[in-house]
Amino acid sequence: MATAREAAFSRQELMVIEAARQLRDGDIVFVGTGLPMLATALAQRTHAPHVVMVIESGVIAPQLRRTPISVSDPKAMYRAMKLGTLREVLGCLLQRGLIDVGFVGGAQIDRYANINSTQIGAPGAMKRRLPGSGGANDMASHCRRLLIITHHEKRRFPERCDYVTSPGFLDGPGGRARAGLNPDFAVTVVTDLAVMENDPQTCALRIVRLMPEISVDHVRAETGFRPETAPDLGVVPSPDADVLRTLRHDVDPERVYLKSEDVASPVRR
Amino acid sequence: MPSSKVMTAAEAVARFVQPGAVLGMGGQNIGRCPMALTHEIIRQRIGGLTVVGCNLSLSMDQLAAAGLIRRTECGTGNLERFGTTFCWRRGIENGSIEIEDYSHLAMVSRFLAGEMGLPFMPVRSLLGSDLLWAPDGAATPGKAVVTENPWDPTERVVLVRALCPDVSIVHAQRADPLGNVIIEGFATHEPEMIRASRRVIVSCEELVSTEEIRAHPERTTIPFMYVHAVVVQRYGAFPTSTYSYYDYDGAQISAYQDAARIGPPATDEYLRRHVAECATFDDYLRRATDGDRLMALTKAMQELM
Repeated sequence: MATAREAAFSRQELMVIEAARQLRDGDIVFVGTGLPMLATALAQRTHAPHVVMVIESGVIAPQLRRTPISVSDPKAMYRAMKLGTLREVLGCLLQRGLIDVGFVGGAQIDRYANINSTQIGAPGAMKRRLPGSGGANDMASHCRRLLIITHHEKRRFPERCDYVTSPGFLDGPGGRARAGLNPDFAVTVVTDLAVMENDPQTCALRIVRLMPEISVDHVRAETGFRPETAPDLGVVPSPDADVLRTLRHDVDPERVYLKSEDVASPVRR
Repeated sequence: MPSSKVMTAAEAVARFVQPGAVLGMGGQNIGRCPMALTHEIIRQRIGGLTVVGCNLSLSMDQLAAAGLIRRTECGTGNLERFGTTFCWRRGIENGSIEIEDYSHLAMVSRFLAGEMGLPFMPVRSLLGSDLLWAPDGAATPGKAVVTENPWDPTERVVLVRALCPDVSIVHAQRADPLGNVIIEGFATHEPEMIRASRRVIVSCEELVSTEEIRAHPERTTIPFMYVHAVVVQRYGAFPTSTYSYYDYDGAQISAYQDAARIGPPATDEYLRRHVAECATFDDYLRRATDGDRLMALTKAMQELM
């Protein structure tokens, strides 16, 4: 039986849990640090024990015990099956086509799921420099499925990215094929307000599930473009108490990434 | 067979790092950044550098703080949980640092071309993205060329230029006096970058004998012919980690980041206290830590293993 305290969960916790639900048992997941690593570790400890993590510094199939804070944090290498090179994972696994899911954290994401992590301001008119691509362009170029987890803020979801670091559907239907990219591609964006996926026809991100107590209008107010809704629009299910317990006590017990202030104003079932 | 390449960091940097050099940077993020060699470049004020690598982090940002970088070619500049590389960002935004952006796979492919004596390498990343173009958005030839597969014209690839650094700096776990290098754990872009470089300086935690190398040749990551100087420096990547030797020191990374976030004069003061006033990296280690701290980082790594 879940206690009352366990039953209360923060929106950020549900976002991580919902992202973990997107992974299927046996998926090979190319994973970035932060919330993607938390969600993947949670999936491994719950419904998908055979999910394989690949980390861009060259780490293959680790079993995370404590929360790493970087792709080169020794904690990201715990009980790995192989510690190799960047070429081995980005080239020989990702570009080679052996990765099922690319899983990245927040940046700027536009209507067609293009990602900007390079700069605010158009090329030639930069206002703010961001970290750059890293392996994100490689993931978006070569994964069949891209999973993005990010907080939902208007500035993160512009109509069109200032700079396309990592390709989504580019300018819409047929965009990837015209650019020479694999058109077999799907995007899921999990936020603290909703889950969005690309419309199979228009390629635009649309709302497929809402977080509990969140309305379509609320999501649209926090989105720089106007997302349509899927015909079978649903609500993100509340977490099972044991999944929530695993997330809190096993996956991020030191609350490196889970914000404690969120728990102070929890959503209640 | 060449004789011993063991020398001090000061000698190695003075001999092999020239002003204006293309400098290959080893390490990734908070792992195995060549901090001892970087401090020496800062002490000797060798500037006008083009710093190249995949993820550039603490070592690159300290060179930027010292005003020694003219240009970078890389996939990212950041320190993940510790924030961005603030001096690099400031330099790009105020126009004092030129930048050429790639993905990490595109950068490692450039080193791969270089290490195999090829002029370029095809990749299937970058297609459709703004990374194909120069920073002003112009389609300048020379950065990347989109072309079709000669055997299958329906397939498109991007050609990226070979990159052969004038000199690379890398911190490894072990090396012998001839320059045979053993990298343990993750190796990022270093094997390709080292073999593509004209000169290589390796600092290492431990010097091993050539007999030991010969006893376990399968453990050698890089054979001696690529390496020009071997610098023995315990904790030479501090405050970043060295796999199987010691964990990173979050407090010391944050101490730099606190200064970097502000910029001058805080960064000048940081570099004065931690680099210029220290004659050697050991002096810096004594200044930045008490005796127990380094041992605690070693213990923390042992617990992770």
